[in-house]
Amino acid sequence: MRISKMRYFFPIGAFLFLFLDGSLSHLLSQSFFTTTVAVESRLILLWSVMAICYGQVDHVFIWSAIIGLFFDLFFTGVLGIFTLLLPFMVYLTRNVLTFFNRSFIVVLLIYLIDITVLTTLFYWANALIGFTSVSGVTFIGRTLGPTLAYNLATYVVLYWPLKLFFEKFS
Amino acid sequence: MQKFSFNKRLVITMIILIIGFLLIALSISVRNNRKAPSFVQQVGNDAVGIVDRVVGVPMNSLGHATDSVKGLYNTYTENKKLKKQVDTIATQKVENQTLKDENKHLKQQLKLNETLSSYSKINAVVLSRTPSSWQDQLVINKGTAAGVKKNDPVLSRKGLAGRVTEVNKTNSKVELLSTSNGSANRFAVRLKSKEGTVINGLITGYNTSKNQLIMGQITSKAKIAKGEKIITSGMGGITPQGLLIGKVVRAANGNDGLPAKIYIEPAADFNDLDVVTVARRAD
Repeated sequence: MRISKMRYFFPIGAFLFLFLDGSLSHLLSQSFFTTTVAVESRLILLWSVMAICYGQVDHVFIWSAIIGLFFDLFFTGVLGIFTLLLPFMVYLTRNVLTFFNRSFIVVLLIYLIDITVLTTLFYWANALIGFTSVSGVTFIGRTLGPTLAYNLATYVVLYWPLKLFFEKFS
Repeated sequence: MQKFSFNKRLVITMIILIIGFLLIALSISVRNNRKAPSFVQQVGNDAVGIVDRVVGVPMNSLGHATDSVKGLYNTYTENKKLKKQVDTIATQKVENQTLKDENKHLKQQLKLNETLSSYSKINAVVLSRTPSSWQDQLVINKGTAAGVKKNDPVLSRKGLAGRVTEVNKTNSKVELLSTSNGSANRFAVRLKSKEGTVINGLITGYNTSKNQLIMGQITSKAKIAKGEKIITSGMGGITPQGLLIGKVVRAANGNDGLPAKIYIEPAADFNDLDVVTVARRAD
């Protein structure tokens, strides 16, 4: 029986994208975190969504929980938020995908819904533990809008390379 | 059978949610109380920190490369300006040196070895930034191995930038002053009034839309001049005295006549931090 190379490529790529999120946020912080804009880079979600749509990955829930845990460990220091949110997004994407055929536009829309849900839940969790006190209007204007725009751009750029990658190796 | 499996799924979901909330509660209590994070957290962080360098270092050097291309454009005009400044700096340096020596001698005569303003510096490189708009947090490449302790103040080239919130062996997390976190550890600061008396207070918040720090808990009614420099007061036992925070933009009066809030333009640029200095108070 042939062992899928995806077994190794998925976690390696996931960690790569996780760290890219942090590095990009640091490098582009001049434009990412201004007085009117706050962009949350979510390349890790793009990687997971593309893996679910075009690849066959074993134990995707466990891997997403592990990667979410490392996000919490390394970036926020508050364990449990991403550890739960990332597997939930994987679950959501999988279930939504059963109703649709995969195409550029459909995956784009699913990804945008995912980003919206993830960003909103992340805001809600942070408001719950007292890390932020901004109003819902400010959240939509300052964080959600720019985050959607940025992640849409990364999707358009990375859709074809990632699709090719996942189709080739799984 | 269908009903049974539904219940099972519900129970599993509930258990997972409860574990999640417990984890959140645990890590917040660690963050607020204990000196160091738990063992598992530390080991994980150190491992991830090393791997992050594999990604972060090439990315950072790429960023520096684009910066230096940008820098080439205005080198000529900048050079002209800087040449003029260099002459004055030399004289200032000599003056500084003599003053420092004099200060040292006077301290020795008074048998004052350590004052509030003496601290040691630990330089660190910023590895990455939390991709979140709710936590203005950086990861730096120095930890307990280099002598960093929790709650140490962190300086940028221009002024105070934040505070260490979590220390691991080889990396630590820095919460920037621009955070909106309600439970953030605040800095004790002071400034001089128009009459020359000292006014003490605390940094109580940050206005994101105007990029202004807010100073509250103010102790005096004295008038405050615009543009007056605000420094840390050294009270509270961890922060050394005399770290620059920023300049006064305006003072808003409260109902009782006391200036309720002083708005400060921060000296540090919170979005332009490549190299930072951890200030470890020497006592």
